[in-house]
Parts: sequence; C-alpha cells; structure tokens
Amino acid sequence: MLSVTKSMALQGLNGTLINVEVDVSSGMPMWEIIGLPDISVKESKERVKTAIRNCGIDMPSRRYIINLSPADLRKEGSYLDLAISVGVLKSIGILDNADISNSIFIGELSLDSKVKKVNGVLPICIEALKYGIKRVIVPKENAKEAAIIKDLEIIGVQDLQTLIKYLKGETIIDREFADIENIFEKEIEYEIDFSEVKGQEITKRALEIAAAGGHNILMVGSPGSRKDYDGKKSKDYFTRFNI
Amino acid sequence: MMAKRVKTILPDLTFEEALEITKIYSISGNMKDNFLITKRPFRSPHHTISANALIGGGKIPKPGEISLSHSGVLFLDELPEFNRNVLEVLRGPLEDKYVHISRVGASITYPCNFMLVASMNPCPCGYFGSKEKPCKCTEFQIKNYINKISGPILDRIDIQVQVSNIKHNNCYNNYSEKSKDIKERVNNARKIQNERYKKFNIFCNSELNVKFLNEFCKLDNTSNMILQSAAEKMNLSSRGYSKVLKVARTIADLEISKEIKEDHIIEALQYRSFENE
Repeated sequence: MLSVTKSMALQGLNGTLINVEVDVSSGMPMWEIIGLPDISVKESKERVKTAIRNCGIDMPSRRYIINLSPADLRKEGSYLDLAISVGVLKSIGILDNADISNSIFIGELSLDSKVKKVNGVLPICIEALKYGIKRVIVPKENAKEAAIIKDLEIIGVQDLQTLIKYLKGETIIDREFADIENIFEKEIEYEIDFSEVKGQEITKRALEIAAAGGHNILMVGSPGSRKDYDGKKSKDYFTRFNI
Repeated sequence: MMAKRVKTILPDLTFEEALEITKIYSISGNMKDNFLITKRPFRSPHHTISANALIGGGKIPKPGEISLSHSGVLFLDELPEFNRNVLEVLRGPLEDKYVHISRVGASITYPCNFMLVASMNPCPCGYFGSKEKPCKCTEFQIKNYINKISGPILDRIDIQVQVSNIKHNNCYNNYSEKSKDIKERVNNARKIQNERYKKFNIFCNSELNVKFLNEFCKLDNTSNMILQSAAEKMNLSSRGYSKVLKVARTIADLEISKEIKEDHIIEALQYRSFENE
C-alpha cells in the first residue's frame, strides 16, 4: 500500500516541503530509500526498522520503497526519521485512519523508539507556514523552540509509541506554547561591567557610538592598555547563551 | 578588557532580530537549552581561524562565525595576526551584510549583519606612539605590520580609535560609569533609529545605503563645508565619506538631536585618524 507523509528539508535557511512516499508491496524482501539521500538519511532505515520493532509492532517481510520527493533535491540529516516511520506504519496498516494532512513530521529516532532533538526546527517551522502547514510534530526537546511560531499547532512527542497512540486518537497531546513576552522582560546579567574600566573615556565613548549605530570599530593601543584583557572571566564563556 | 564589555552595552534585541539569530543558531546546532536567543551574540574566534570557518563552509555549507555573530559582535583580537587571506574574505560580507557560499552540495546565502570589533597593537613591539616606553621597531617593520591589514578592510571600519595606556594610580580610584547607564543611552539611540527606519526594514545607521544617506543625513552649510574640506585633506574615499556621515548620524541620535550638527561631524571625523598615519 502507498502512503504519503510530509516533512521539510532545509537548504541554508530556506525550506522545501518533502513528500515521503512509502510503498509496501509483495516481492523479494528489501528496503530502499531513494531521492538523493545522503548517508545520514540512508542510515535512517536501520533506526526506523529497529524503533518500530521495539514499539512491539511486527513488520511484515515485504518490499519497502521509500521515495523522498522532489527527487532531485539532496537531503541530509536525521530529521526525516519520524516522517519515514509514520509513512511505513501507515503503509503496513497500523495508522490507517490517522489524519496527517497539513502536518509535517520532524525528528530523529533512537533504537529504543525515543524521539531525539534535531537542528533547524525554528527555520523549518517558519518555512512550513509558507506552505500552509497547520500542524508540526517535533521532538519534545524542540517543542518550545518551534512554539515561537504561534500560528502553528506544535505537538512535542517523546517517543514513537506515544505518537502512534496520538495519531490513532487514543491519547491527547497538548499543544505547546512558548512564553515569549516574559523571556524578553528578563534582565540580562553579565559578570563584567564597564565600571571596572577606569579612565579610557575616549575609547568608551567610541564603543558607545559603535554599539548605538552598529558601527565597526578598530582599537589600536600598546600592550596592557586593556583593549581586550579579560582576566579570570573566562567562565563567562561557558554561560554566554544561557538565559 | 573593554572589547569584551561591549556586550554589556549592546542594545536590547527586537523580536525580529531574536528570530533571525535563533534561526541561524538552530541550524548550526548551537541552541543549548534555551528556545529563543535574547542576547546579542558575541563571537571571538582565535586568530588561527580559517577562511571557511569564518564565512561558513562544508559540503553543504553551514554558517560560519560571521553568520553566528549576526545582529551581534564579531570580535577579532590582534587583527594583524590573522591570515591575510582570512581577513580579505570579510570584504564582501562587511558591505553586503550577507554571504553567499557555493560548494559542491549547494549554494546557500546566510545573513551576516554583524558589528566588527577589532583590536591591535600599533607595531610589532607594541609601543609605537606610546608615552611610557620607546618603540624599538624600524620604520620598515611598522609598515609591514600595519600593511597586514589591507586598505579596503580598514576603509570598511567606521570608527578607528587610539587607546592610550593609563597610570597605575588611576586604575582603581576614579568613579566610572556603569554599563547599565551607557546601555540606556544606547537603547534610546537605537529606538530612535528603529522608529526612523521602520518602513525600510533596517535597524540601525550602519545599514544605511546611499539613497537613505541623502534622505536621513542631511547637513547644514557649515557642517557640509567642514566635511568637504576634511574629506579632501584626509583623502577620504567615497565609502569613508559615507561612513563619517553614518557615525555622525549615530552621535546625533545619542544626543537625541534631529539634525546632524557641526560637533557631530567633527567628532565623527576624529574616528578616522588611523587611516592617515
């Protein structure tokens, strides 16, 4: 039986909607992924097979052809795992009645059927909006990031079993929300401060102008004039992006 | 010490800017635990960095340091120590604010609207022009050292400033302004800019192009004369000329002045001193 599941491939910051077409037919048992997959996509066949088996689902020995269309576009990364597995499950009749129109699936599978986080979820969601997608199924760990896009219904899943139950309608997963207003209100704190720099008023003024207008700046000075010395503050490096 | 403190006075992010940054960090796998980046990035790669790592690369190109510092700061410490060919790749991106990378697997465009902060010594021994110690370098050595940074790169730097040494006893006593107070002024200036350029989809003065310069950086007669004669004396390129105008616009914004006045132009001109020496 043929099934079509949707996912998204990124080229830089631009996304293309990918149709994952899975066909299961009788014949010599085999499993082939076509449509210019790179190695990480090709390897997904082992992850998907094992993950489905570890959900307690028997996979019949059949001929599985998985086509990633458009076929002339190179696909890389492990985030197509989830779409492929849903496509396979639909093809072998497990998710017969599931409604997956207007939805895309993003996520990497581990062998024990957990859904693991992937890169590029936010650009994928922004691009998905352009294609008229309504619902995006993402790994739970990426759900907050995806939920920044308010117009999409973001469903965060932890493992394949839950996703199967959700698609069958046996369980409900709440839509994810991100609290954007509050995170901007939080004051950013640094361990370093300009009050620790004594004198050097001219340079400080220049830096202030540069920061205000986004101008490039070059500082020229003799060693020890503290253009850039940062003492023991290297700790700051490890916490830079933590909010 | 000062360069790293720039991040404490950078203006607050707008939601659109935060989205742009988060997109780039998301595809490069640098998200850590947060879901939206609300701090302006501050990247300081070591001077051994390769050209590919700086502008982005790979079979299917990933963002490089310049894109990772989009809407934030790219800090290049000890500028002349960088490979010359590495610095030269910055020429296009510094002007265009985006970088187009073509490789076997794909051609990809990434945004890279960063603010370049660079620091360097004036000569190999470091004491050229210093009051405390005599410089030990020959003229040839100094020339060689400075020449590592090409004219076109230097031309793209809006503000060039000499940092003088301070005496020990001045180090620990004086009162000096807190980052918070400076940031408030910076934020106000940026708000004025955001408001002014709202219709044109740009965020700050450094993004102005020629068309906008004529519209937003109008000068009165006296300021115009000062700028014209200075440009002639200093041999400013047409890019250098527009950079002075942009800096003057920012200085005016910091003082919440609608027009660019003489003082603003004069101060802006001071920041192009290094080029002539």
